[in-house]
Amino acid sequence: MRILIVEDEPKVASFIRRALEEESYAVDVCSDGIQGRDLASEVDYDLIILDLMLPGLPGIDVLQAVRDAKVTTPILILTARSKVDQRVKGLNAGADDYLTKPFAIEELIARARALLRRASGDSAGLLQVDDLILNPTNHEVTRGGQRIDLTSKEYALLEYMMRNSGRVLTRPMIAEHVWDLDFDTFTNVIDVYISYLRNKIDRGYDRGLIHTVRGSGYTLKLTDA
Amino acid sequence: MPSPHFSPASIRVRLTIWYGGGLALIMILFAGALYVVMSRALQDQVDRSLEEAAIAASRSLEEHRFGPFLLLDDLTQAFPELALIDKFFQIFGPQGQITLQSANIKTRNIPLSQTALQSSLQGRAVFETVRFHDEISIRLLSYPIRHGDALVNILRVGTSLRPEEEMLARLVFVLLIGSPLAVVVSMLGGWFLAGRALRPVDTITLAAQRIAGGDLTQRIETSSKDEIGRLANTFNNMIGRLETSIRQIRQFSADASHELRTPLTITKGETELALRKPRSPEVYREVLESNLEEIDRMSRIVEELMFLSRADLGEVQVASEPVQLDALVQEIHMQAMVLGKARQVKTTLGQVEPLQVLGDEWRLRELILNVVDNAVKYSSPGGTVEISLTQDHGMARIRVRDHGIGMTPEEQRLIFDRFYRTDAARAHAQKGTGLGLSICKWIVETHHGTIEVTSTFGQGSCFTISLPLLAPAPVA
Repeated sequence: MRILIVEDEPKVASFIRRALEEESYAVDVCSDGIQGRDLASEVDYDLIILDLMLPGLPGIDVLQAVRDAKVTTPILILTARSKVDQRVKGLNAGADDYLTKPFAIEELIARARALLRRASGDSAGLLQVDDLILNPTNHEVTRGGQRIDLTSKEYALLEYMMRNSGRVLTRPMIAEHVWDLDFDTFTNVIDVYISYLRNKIDRGYDRGLIHTVRGSGYTLKLTDA
Repeated sequence: MPSPHFSPASIRVRLTIWYGGGLALIMILFAGALYVVMSRALQDQVDRSLEEAAIAASRSLEEHRFGPFLLLDDLTQAFPELALIDKFFQIFGPQGQITLQSANIKTRNIPLSQTALQSSLQGRAVFETVRFHDEISIRLLSYPIRHGDALVNILRVGTSLRPEEEMLARLVFVLLIGSPLAVVVSMLGGWFLAGRALRPVDTITLAAQRIAGGDLTQRIETSSKDEIGRLANTFNNMIGRLETSIRQIRQFSADASHELRTPLTITKGETELALRKPRSPEVYREVLESNLEEIDRMSRIVEELMFLSRADLGEVQVASEPVQLDALVQEIHMQAMVLGKARQVKTTLGQVEPLQVLGDEWRLRELILNVVDNAVKYSSPGGTVEISLTQDHGMARIRVRDHGIGMTPEEQRLIFDRFYRTDAARAHAQKGTGLGLSICKWIVETHHGTIEVTSTFGQGSCFTISLPLLAPAPVA
């Protein structure tokens, strides 16, 4: 899951980024409205966290432009003003949720998680494929009742694959949603992480869940074989 | 709520009552006086005619040698006016016994009173008013007729007072009907006039009530230039000023809470993040350092806000003593060298004339240092800041020029506003409070000077502070 933060106050952007990274999300930060608008329109983010007070281009205009460009990514707005009209304007312009500064970091994470869950059309919270269960709230992964310990990146990769189970995911898609802008696409990092995941999830089980689609990428599903 | 028009506390009611009451009192006094004067005049008139008749009759009696055998026919022949039916005559003997009386007295018995007899014996004429129990009043004149010292006859002339009484009755009737009517009419008029005069007051009251309800955009419509018009204008001015200052206060507190919210968001976020799981001492240290920085920023904002709000209320003490500006500028130049050292920003002194102004040295230092500090802060690394002090038309001019990021015309217009920061300043690593230049402006204005800025975006800015000179510098 990849998140864009558009926030001009570097320290605010910084702690939000660190908090989300701890939750295994890939995070990009930009500090002005114009760059934010361009990034949001070009990159397929899973969530955008947008401050309304921005240099360059006001947050409301960014919101408008992103929605005009038919981007349906959930957007969480941050307003420094507790004024109702700001929030109403933001929600009317296409925001999905808002937080008023100062906010509790746990609330930000919970709202981000809820928005991501809603976007993937799953309201229960738990992700399940066969006997593999992933709980996004506490990052617990079990298979057949057995707990599986994953690193942050492995978890992020698995969550993305489970949210899109049955779909063929190309390497660029995986890179875009699991890694941030600093990711170097010319390495085999994705293949390495896929093999780590296979070791932890599929080894020792009759039914393999992670499959390689030759020439395309990977998919996670229960095959009938 | 009771109707404002009829409560006894209403000015309109009180005015009307005073008006009507005053007029009623005047009417009563006037009617009383009129009645008294009128009845006196009428009685005088009656008495005079009685007297004339008595004199004429007595002359006639003398012609008849005071004989007791006087005939009214003779009398009326000699004095035709005595034949008028409104008077009657009686002639009494010296003991008061009636000897003769005119025919028009008919059967009435009008004896001579003791008072009249006594007065006649003493030679005095006397008037009396007699009222018969069932009839009208009669005015009587008893007139002694003497021969030498002896009382020969007493002549009495009488007349009915009916015409006079009828006249007075008519007067009383007119007064009784007319006076209350006049009072009622005048009260109605007073009510109407007071209402008309006070209507604008009601308008003002309604407007004031709406304003008290929080709508400060309300104004009283008035075109008149009278007392009420002036009141309305004064009121409108007052509300206008109130509206302005409340808007300022609202803006100010909104800005203040907004400014404090960012450091609060950071300290809260950093702290909560650090507490999510155990971390290394280095991480805790970093969080504490960041928090301390934000706490310092909040204290600075609060401090400067307090200063500005005290300044707005006129509570800031400002000394007024001669200040040697050139010494101050040189001192600040030294500080600026230190400030710019880290980023290799050089500060140079241009022309510095020995100039004195009247003011507060501590505040003036704060002012110049603030402007110079800004110039150093927004200079590119390796840039220069120039300071000069010259005199021009009785003003000391301090110029601080930098070759830094500069400002757009829009930004130049707003930089002295509270909490305004340019985009560049907001992105700057060294966070200001957005209040520094507002404080500078305040200091300059308390010293009766001006502060101006000229700038080209991307090329640098030049701040010019002008302060009135204490005395012209000695000509070199």
